[in-house]
Amino acid sequence: MRQQYAVRSLILVVGLALVGLAVIAQMIRIQNSEQAKIFLSQGDKYSGEFRMFYPERGEIYDRSGHLLAGNRTVYEVGVSLSEMRKPEALASILSVYLGLTYEEVHKQLTGSPEGWEYIVVQDYVGEETVAALQELMQQQWDADDDSLDGLGFKPHFQRSYPENALASNVLGFVTRDGRGYFGIEEKYNDLLAGNPVQVWVPSDPNKAMEIPRVSNGTTLVLTLNRDLQAQVESILDQALFEYGAENGAIIVMDPRNGDILAMATTPRLDLNNYTDYFSLYDNGSQYNRAIGMAYEAGSVVKILTMAAALDTGTVTPETTYIDTGSIEVGGITIWNWDRQPWGQQDMIGCLQHSLNVCLATLASKMGTQTFYGYMERFGLGHPTGIDLAGEAMGRLKVPGDTDWYPVDLGTNAFGQGVTVTPLQLMMAASAIANDGKMVTPHILYAMLRDGHQYNVPSQYAGAPIKAETAHTLSGMLAVSLEGESSKALVPGYRVAGKTGTAQIPTQLGYDQSQTNASFIGWGPADDPQFMVYVWLQKPSASIWGSQTAAPVFSQVAEQAVILLNIPPDLVRQQYGSR
Amino acid sequence: MQAQATQLIHAYKQAPWRIQRQYVGTFLLVVIGISMIAALYLQVTARAAATGREIQELRAEIITIQRLNADLETQLAKLTSSAEMQRRAVEMDYRPVKPGELDYVAVPGFVAPEPAILLAAKDAGFISLPLPSEYTQSLIEWLDDRIKSGGY
Repeated sequence: MRQQYAVRSLILVVGLALVGLAVIAQMIRIQNSEQAKIFLSQGDKYSGEFRMFYPERGEIYDRSGHLLAGNRTVYEVGVSLSEMRKPEALASILSVYLGLTYEEVHKQLTGSPEGWEYIVVQDYVGEETVAALQELMQQQWDADDDSLDGLGFKPHFQRSYPENALASNVLGFVTRDGRGYFGIEEKYNDLLAGNPVQVWVPSDPNKAMEIPRVSNGTTLVLTLNRDLQAQVESILDQALFEYGAENGAIIVMDPRNGDILAMATTPRLDLNNYTDYFSLYDNGSQYNRAIGMAYEAGSVVKILTMAAALDTGTVTPETTYIDTGSIEVGGITIWNWDRQPWGQQDMIGCLQHSLNVCLATLASKMGTQTFYGYMERFGLGHPTGIDLAGEAMGRLKVPGDTDWYPVDLGTNAFGQGVTVTPLQLMMAASAIANDGKMVTPHILYAMLRDGHQYNVPSQYAGAPIKAETAHTLSGMLAVSLEGESSKALVPGYRVAGKTGTAQIPTQLGYDQSQTNASFIGWGPADDPQFMVYVWLQKPSASIWGSQTAAPVFSQVAEQAVILLNIPPDLVRQQYGSR
Repeated sequence: MQAQATQLIHAYKQAPWRIQRQYVGTFLLVVIGISMIAALYLQVTARAAATGREIQELRAEIITIQRLNADLETQLAKLTSSAEMQRRAVEMDYRPVKPGELDYVAVPGFVAPEPAILLAAKDAGFISLPLPSEYTQSLIEWLDDRIKSGGY
């Protein structure tokens, strides 16, 4: 009996074991079959999705932390075609809310190619419109109405400029494809935009940590002072109106470190409506005239010639000469601006009366090699290297160039035949205001990324002249302004500077009726903390820089000393002596 | 001698029912052990899944908050823009100050504070503390780590 049970048990065990083995074998077979691979790949489709992460574009601030360029949420309004129930009702509602025609929306909803799951009806839709649509969706949902089924909203960022046109020529703008054009937005586009990353986002919550964090774009802090920028833009606009100038540019820079504190040009673009660009500008160089347009600046270049002459010991401030009203250089006669002789003059008188003959004489005495050597060291003919897109180089003809003639030595000495951008001349003149050391102008103060701050160090671009030369020339320019009771003077502050009135070259020679009026100056003269360049294009109220650009300098300097907290000379010297 | 040996074996040999009980006991012990480990693993896995889900939700919330933050920053900047501040100042009968109207006071040792945006950047490091591995590992991963590290 027992034996029988044992056999039966054995048969049962073997049978069950065989069934078990068969199950295991079948499992292995199924798992390794072709169908299993198809099932697995189908399963993988639902285990997650590839998603492109676009980092938030970095913000741009002024040096005091005022937001100049930020981001705001806009929405892509789309429809999931498989979930859509009533295309007619949906088209009707969307056309009203999105400002489109019914036919347009209806065609999109019903005429999509075969296999399309989702269509975008409109992008960059504002928050208010989307909120209204969402409210309507909720109402319809509550009423069990499926008219808006399939409608969806995808939020994303759009560049926003809270100051509208303020500093637009410095900032540049970002188009809808996310690319920066002009200014900071173009120069630092890669840093600001960050790196878009395509990542696999698993649905499995256990793999939530595998989703990489996408860093936002780098935030930039500029050297600009927003309030000064606003004041300078206002002064420039007023000056264009008052003096009937076509366009203009004003730059305020700290000559000690090259920080650009304000850079105003005209016309300015409302950056939130950047499509107006084409109606405002004929070409890209007009976008920021302060760096993009080289012009013959005229007499403001004389300070560089005088600096070279003082530095080489060719003259001293007391050196005198007899001005006969003309001089011959390279076989061509060069005249003073008024074609009059000025008799015996020292070097201060030479600058004060802006005598072409004087400067041509100095250049002739120095010789081509020395003169052009100094102009090269001042950086003429080379870009300044400012961190803004679209900088022009200007042109300095030098001996050896096919279009250089011996007379150019004389004319270049007083600024004729040399094209510079306002910023180039500022950079060159910074050597005079900054103990002989020339600074590289820059607009970026610091970068912020992932909680770290990177400050941008100031850079010197060489020392073209000695410190003593710089002090001497700065003093001479201050005296010359005081001597002529210039309109550039600032009550309470001693400033140094030079006007420039340059005829405009045309195909037929120089236009006698139209000029470029300029002024470059800095202050306080004994401890320069700001440097201002003013350029007015074709002023009609007066062609003279002394009557147009000089008073504009004074207005800008008055605002600069207030906003930069620079006390009057007397107060400063009192505190300094304690 | 033979008989003595048989007696001795019988004396120490366990009863068949006792041996069966031992087998059953051992089997049950193994089953209970496996069940406990399975239950523990299930609980840890469930918690990890719940935490993972929470992380997913928090990430989505972070994105929403970042977006809201950017919107609010831009709105605030618009409300305090240069043009807007000037308009409000004029409305309140303020006018621009002139250089001669200012009084300057020297404050020894005074250093102008840095703008808030730069100060905020210095504090931002606190939010990026790494999550301890206890919150991210499953039981098997933890055991695997322990084995690989020789128990340390």
